[in-house]
Amino acid sequence: MSILDKILGGNTLYYPGCLTKFVAKDLEEKYQEILRQEGIDFITLSELELCCGSPALKAGYLADFKKAAKENMKIFKDHGVTKVITNCPACFMILKKYYQEALGKDWNIEVEHISQTLGSKLKAQNSKLQPKVKNLKLTYHDPCHLGRQMGVYDQPRTVIKNLGYRISEMKLNKKNSFCCGGGGGVQSNEPDLASKIAQDRIKQAKETGARILCTACPLCYLHLKENAKGIKVKELSQLFSLNKGKNDHQ
Amino acid sequence: MTINKQSFWDRETKTALWRIVLEYQGKRDQALKKNQLEMEGFREEVHQMKKQALDQIDQLRKQAIANLEANGIRVFEAKDDNQARKIIEKLLKDKKRVIKAKTNAFGEIDQKGFLADKQVQETDLGDFVVSLVGDPEAHPVLPALHLSPEKIAQAIEKKYRKRILPTAEGIAEFARNYLREKINRAQAGITGANAITADGKIVILENEGNISLVSRWPESHIVVAGFEKIVPSLKEALMVVQASAIWGTGQDWPAYVSVIASPSKTADIANETIIGAQGAKEVNLVLLDNGRGRLIEAGFSELLHCLNCGACLNFCPVYHQIGSHYGGKYLGSRGVVFAAFSQSLKKAKLANCFACTLCSACLENCPAKIDLPELMRKLRTLLEKEGWQTKENEKMIANIRKFGNPFGKIEEGQIPKELYCC
Repeated sequence: MSILDKILGGNTLYYPGCLTKFVAKDLEEKYQEILRQEGIDFITLSELELCCGSPALKAGYLADFKKAAKENMKIFKDHGVTKVITNCPACFMILKKYYQEALGKDWNIEVEHISQTLGSKLKAQNSKLQPKVKNLKLTYHDPCHLGRQMGVYDQPRTVIKNLGYRISEMKLNKKNSFCCGGGGGVQSNEPDLASKIAQDRIKQAKETGARILCTACPLCYLHLKENAKGIKVKELSQLFSLNKGKNDHQ
Repeated sequence: MTINKQSFWDRETKTALWRIVLEYQGKRDQALKKNQLEMEGFREEVHQMKKQALDQIDQLRKQAIANLEANGIRVFEAKDDNQARKIIEKLLKDKKRVIKAKTNAFGEIDQKGFLADKQVQETDLGDFVVSLVGDPEAHPVLPALHLSPEKIAQAIEKKYRKRILPTAEGIAEFARNYLREKINRAQAGITGANAITADGKIVILENEGNISLVSRWPESHIVVAGFEKIVPSLKEALMVVQASAIWGTGQDWPAYVSVIASPSKTADIANETIIGAQGAKEVNLVLLDNGRGRLIEAGFSELLHCLNCGACLNFCPVYHQIGSHYGGKYLGSRGVVFAAFSQSLKKAKLANCFACTLCSACLENCPAKIDLPELMRKLRTLLEKEGWQTKENEKMIANIRKFGNPFGKIEEGQIPKELYCC
């Protein structure tokens, strides 16, 4: 650990997760920009960090998952990481819940979903986040891994509202939310099934009358977008109109 | 693995299913209120009650068998489905006309050709209708939810040459008259059980009244049930009844609850006890293991908390697309996991184990708080160990092992199509 790390009490790692890093790359840039704008110091490990092990665990490769957990912990600790912020609900659940289970006491790294990071800033009233639209209606899809499995329902909504949006809830929301169909390996194992589920969710979103469907998960985002007709699908970061970036929803 | 195109429900059925499910959700919440129950607290109570019962199941089982037999109910333990069928065949040896009331445990051991030499009549309206149309059950509590009254009326006309009103009422009236005739002449009745108490009582709930008739009218009553139905006493059994009604159909209490403690008897004449008055003269319980022991040994005993209310299906995204094609002898994630132990790991894979998105909607809606996604994940670990992986997962893990990510080597500007993630 460097002297600086000791003074600051360790590094905060921004961990985008494989899906954001390799597929929805624009989200990674957005989130880094958002974190900077919010004055959050963070490091990135890009090529050094490994997949969190979520797909391995969910497909039944327990040994591979444990290996990934051990290796990532070593990489994180070697870089003085004491806190991880991720925008991926699957990584969030894995790092927070399943790393704890697999690694026990050795896993003493704090884990946050980025909506929690931003939500806390808003609550503490030291956020620089500014509303960029006025009362624009959208609907929010709770990612299963963030909502039902980790109980994070309110913080993404707080962030969305503070960006000037009005949330029109779907009939099935929060703990009763309906899956996008992509998780658990289904998008790759059963693509037809995954698409049909997504189309049902899109239908439910359109019933709210909103023109925008927002979610806080890269998989839900990519998968819903792929299957959306007549509604715009946005990932949470895309609601931010950043100083540098252009305003997406206009 | 790819799910067959014909396995998907059509738009009409899906719309009908959503209407039923959303209505059910409202009724369920009302039923909880009417019983002055707070959902989370009650779910935890049911969970703990079932857990405690299963923790001492060997002892409860011994007590139940001893007490049932002392009451004159014969108990037959069946190691597997084959043995269960043999026991039932023997019990029905001299009987030709058999009536059946909704029992999923019977479905578990049933097989093509079983009891083919008998006239077996299903008396539950939904089951009667699906067997008439020739479809599999679409839901354990609402087996005919995918069939419109028009379609059912057509099937009745075709089979019985009788024109009826294509309405729920018209169909129910036809079934009542038709089935009464069958019930009247039956020599044996087969039912399931919702709970069995260690002090020797069989508890069955229903709305239609057919179970009361099937269990009492014929001379012989055969109950088929898994041993996980055993709970210590009526107190726990009534909790099972209440939870099953609330989560099964959104009712605060079912129309009827039968508590069967012995065969029918009377001592009205000369104080002499005669077995067999107006009810069944003999009551037989076929107690199934059929993989349950293996399931407990493998660390999956939580699955046996199941009350078979079907609530896990109601918000399941996979069930909403492929209905009865998801699961084995029992539907949904519960059926997939059960198939692994009562049948084989291969069956569990074919029951679409890898179609589950692990979304947790089943857990959220389970009155006994069974962590089905966790059991499903554990089952995938067993499938992996025994070589029942999917090709897609094999590709994914090879990528993770070689490149540290599930997509493999990604060329600049390329976006992977298969999103193995999450």
